[in-house]
Amino acid sequence: MNPAVAARLRDVAPILTLILLVLVVGIGSRGFLSPETLLVLAADTSTLFIMAAGITFVILLGGIDLSVQAVASMSSVVMALLLPSLGYGAFPAALAAGALLGLANGLAFTRLRVPSFISSLAVGGIATALALAFSGTRSIPIGEELRHAYLWWITGRMLGIPAEIWLGLIVLAICLFVERYTLFGRWSLAVGAGEPAAVASGVPVALVKLLACVVSATLAAFAGMVLGGRLVAGSPTLANEFLLPAVAAVVVGGTALTGGVGSVWRTLIGALIVSVVRVGMTFLGVDVFVQQIVLGIVLILAVWITIDRAKIPIVK
Amino acid sequence: MAASAIRLPPASRIERLRAFTPVIVLVVVFAVIGAIAPAFLSIDNLVRIMNASAIPLCLALGATFIILMGSIDLSVEGVVAMGAVLTALLVQNGANANDLGFLAIPLVLLMGAAFGFVNGVVHVKLQIPSFMVTLGMSFIAIGIATVMLAGERVRITDTTFRELALGRVLGIPMGVWVALAATLVAYVIQTRTRLGRWIFAVGGGEDILRLTSVPVGRVRILAFTLAGVFYGLGGILSAAQLGQGHALMGQGRLFTTITAVVVGGTSLMGGQGGVQNTLVGVLIVVGLANGMVLMGVPPYVQTGVQGVLIIAAVALAVDRSRARIIK
Repeated sequence: MNPAVAARLRDVAPILTLILLVLVVGIGSRGFLSPETLLVLAADTSTLFIMAAGITFVILLGGIDLSVQAVASMSSVVMALLLPSLGYGAFPAALAAGALLGLANGLAFTRLRVPSFISSLAVGGIATALALAFSGTRSIPIGEELRHAYLWWITGRMLGIPAEIWLGLIVLAICLFVERYTLFGRWSLAVGAGEPAAVASGVPVALVKLLACVVSATLAAFAGMVLGGRLVAGSPTLANEFLLPAVAAVVVGGTALTGGVGSVWRTLIGALIVSVVRVGMTFLGVDVFVQQIVLGIVLILAVWITIDRAKIPIVK
Repeated sequence: MAASAIRLPPASRIERLRAFTPVIVLVVVFAVIGAIAPAFLSIDNLVRIMNASAIPLCLALGATFIILMGSIDLSVEGVVAMGAVLTALLVQNGANANDLGFLAIPLVLLMGAAFGFVNGVVHVKLQIPSFMVTLGMSFIAIGIATVMLAGERVRITDTTFRELALGRVLGIPMGVWVALAATLVAYVIQTRTRLGRWIFAVGGGEDILRLTSVPVGRVRILAFTLAGVFYGLGGILSAAQLGQGHALMGQGRLFTTITAVVVGGTSLMGGQGGVQNTLVGVLIVVGLANGMVLMGVPPYVQTGVQGVLIIAAVALAVDRSRARIIK
């Protein structure tokens, strides 16, 4: 196959996969293609997408963020703890807590020159310890009154569509804008495409990396808030099952682990694919735990297909 | 450093001092905690520290070989969980009629080897970075362990088997002896076999090595397989110690393992460190954890402390002349 056609095919493969999957699952189970099921599916995907959108920025420049699930859990704890006293102030506080952890991760990554997979693993450990310390290792329920007063924008509906879908769309719009029309977005791609060239052309590489870590952790914190709002509780283990599907969503969408290629738009497609695969498996009666095995395999295969070997002469 | 086949150029005094930093840190940590909480240095507590070190040591030995190559293995928790569950299902237990006793050990080690082998093959043949392969494999292994038990836990009823961790010889728990034996084996592999020397060589400079006749791919696959065997052993000891097997038994193990290896002075860049460093690293990490409990620090703070330790150790060890681009 000539390279141009192959590249084109790789571009459209994720969306074709999504359409095919929806059709297959739709034919297999009648109820699936009803508007109500699709809305629930989209709402379920929203949290996953918000988290994956953040990781996308780090992966775009060739790094990885393994701290997202711990940061999300911690943010849900902060939100649940502060809601009674601060009201709406609890939301920015939870976001700020996430951003601070992202800053710590970014500083370890750029200033101390610790590889991102290990710095984010370590910061994830710190986030978990903080969440356990804040919550006294317990789950913190959010009272009925508080829920009605403050969580309407997470649990309610607007124009008949669940609020989470709106939140996901807002995050998508902002991320697409940042990615396409801001210096930070353009620089991220440049760093991922070739770091030495980016350095030579005056891109503030360290700053871009630092910002990407902060964005990733802040969006993870936002996802933690939305998840906490849905489950009406904050807990240090709330988002524990999210790392695998979130990284899978980014990679399955076609953003390469080696950086330089990809987009938040692709991550949306990837998140939808992950969701449809999960729902499809549930419809087919596949055990929840087997689903994890399947997702693990899908992740490895997707990395294999998207990775750009020219960028890593020695695979470590 | 007796190990490295490729001798490093004559080290300056500062560099030689650097090689002993982990030992100095170990002594300082024990001295400081001992001064604050005298009970820390009592014989009873030292035995307790040894006992708590047994499983982390087995796991960290396996991870050492991988990190020596400049790769990373995040599949620890998954393989430990698989090992513990398989052990619990093979010896006399509350869920099925098996009663293999100690015969279960080679089978579980074989399972660990199989997982490590798959890690290595996927990593080498498909050219996927090891952190991603092993992350995926960890989820897969935990998934399999969960499916095998349908989310339940199995109790081990074979008391003779549990002696493997709980029995005492010369006042020291069996598990510690097993871990020491594993250390010896790992040390011999590192220093006295071709595989051991090749692992160092791969970490020291793979690009140059490819020009020689060293089968780099095969060395990598073998190293991952070897690591799997050590994780399997960790799983067996966990099952014997706790008297049960379930899919979350590996939880928290990955963190301790990597902290121990890097705190011991084995560089993430590869080619530097070794089994002897890991022994010191495990004692630092476990000693610190034990000491914090004695001083009344809540146990969950340890994850945070370990996170800081990882970053500090890696940051101090980064060889800035070698790594210009850090991803």
